[in-house]
Amino acid sequence: MSFSPNSSKSQKITLPTSRETEWGKSLSGLINALEPGPTELDCFDWRLGCRELKKLISILENSGLKLTRVSGNIPETMVSAAALGHPTNLLLTTNEKNKPTPSQTISKEENSQKLLFHNGTLRSGDHLSAAGDVLLFGDVNPGAKISAGGDVMIWGRLRGIAHAGQNGDLKAKIVALELRPLQLRIGNVVARGPEGQPEQGLAEEAKILSGRIVIEPANTKIPKA
Amino acid sequence: MAPNTRIILICSGKGGVGKTTLTANLGIALARQGVRTVVLDADFGLRNLDLLLGLENRIVYTAQEVLEESCRLDQALVKHKQEPNLSLLPAGNPRMLEWLKPDDMQRIVGMLAKQFDYVLIDCPAGVEDGFKNAVSATKEAIIITTPEVSAVRDADRVIGLLNTNGIKPVQLVLNRVRPKMIESQEMLSVDDVTDILALPLLGLVLEDEQVIISTNRGEPLTLKDNISPAARCYANIAKRLQGENIPLIDPAKAGRGLRDKFMRLMQTKIF
Repeated sequence: MSFSPNSSKSQKITLPTSRETEWGKSLSGLINALEPGPTELDCFDWRLGCRELKKLISILENSGLKLTRVSGNIPETMVSAAALGHPTNLLLTTNEKNKPTPSQTISKEENSQKLLFHNGTLRSGDHLSAAGDVLLFGDVNPGAKISAGGDVMIWGRLRGIAHAGQNGDLKAKIVALELRPLQLRIGNVVARGPEGQPEQGLAEEAKILSGRIVIEPANTKIPKA
Repeated sequence: MAPNTRIILICSGKGGVGKTTLTANLGIALARQGVRTVVLDADFGLRNLDLLLGLENRIVYTAQEVLEESCRLDQALVKHKQEPNLSLLPAGNPRMLEWLKPDDMQRIVGMLAKQFDYVLIDCPAGVEDGFKNAVSATKEAIIITTPEVSAVRDADRVIGLLNTNGIKPVQLVLNRVRPKMIESQEMLSVDDVTDILALPLLGLVLEDEQVIISTNRGEPLTLKDNISPAARCYANIAKRLQGENIPLIDPAKAGRGLRDKFMRLMQTKIF
């Protein structure tokens, strides 16, 4: 998912690719990153009927965004948008060109300002993904996955899979109040979770030290801005 | 029209953990408390709620005919032979899976809600169309699971889906609890399960051979004033559902007391 501020006053909201998650799940995060005002909606590779699109647009409008134009790669979606009376723009670029390539490395500095906040537990099968850092207020249950371009911070228990620095940032960290994951990934490094029970009441963080993921007590010092 | 009708979906995700058994027993137990209850079999592909209730041979019309408007609702409803407060709306033939839409499900449940205080929906296993149809028509849900990692994982997934559909409240029933195995730490404990699922516990059901016998006979355990452990558990769940405050059994103490030992002795058949 990404949010690209335009040079003009208008901003753009881009839905994540349909193969990864449902648009409904990531929408609140996307809206949070935007200012209320005129917005362009990029439906990307979503095939949306009138009913679905109407629902999506009403969510946007309820959060104070004013829709200026609907764009996307799928003709059917554009037809639905036109039927609902919105100006449309069919992007004829192929999926390959439009999709951010996973190998593309975005340094941490670039998106460090963007924080996705999610309140609620991730249950088995859920997947929360953020372009920048992600802060979860709740647990990550076994079978659920949380991933971020930057750091993963969990105010709760991590018992599923966490992936920090999914675009290749090896400096990213995973912090949780209780770190008992099935698997940890930072950048392209993968580690299985620790076998034993963690010490109670001790927040821990995982980071990369000389090419391996290590877990240590979380750094409680507040970094200087 | 009864505006306070409780529409409860009984689901689990994984198959074979006891959805249908719970639906049947809960239906009987509620009916015995005098509330008008209907059980709706939403498992169109593999229907067997009628079997468990022993009503298979009384079915004339099904939900299918009701939706097609070739019969009235009260013609399709099958009253339980011993417990007239309980009715069953049987599932139609498996081809209903192909055309049934959430709207149809809502229509059926809407009709039932006018006549009954409780509508219990027996959900099919899995999270595909059958599940989605059932969820679209419900207000609250009971998740049933067993203390096994696979069942708990599936239950967790289902709870997530129920939450996104705005179903509230969702309560938990833990089935097939074996106190001895928990004690020897060979089975997930009650705390282990509630820790992951983070749901209020509506009740525990102890592992009980009587369940198998009653299933095969088509006579739910709660039908008689049964002294079997599972029957007591089901009856307690029904009472808690009605708002009575009944403490949960402690699996560590279950089956240990003098009374339980005596009961077991009474049940043993000596030839």
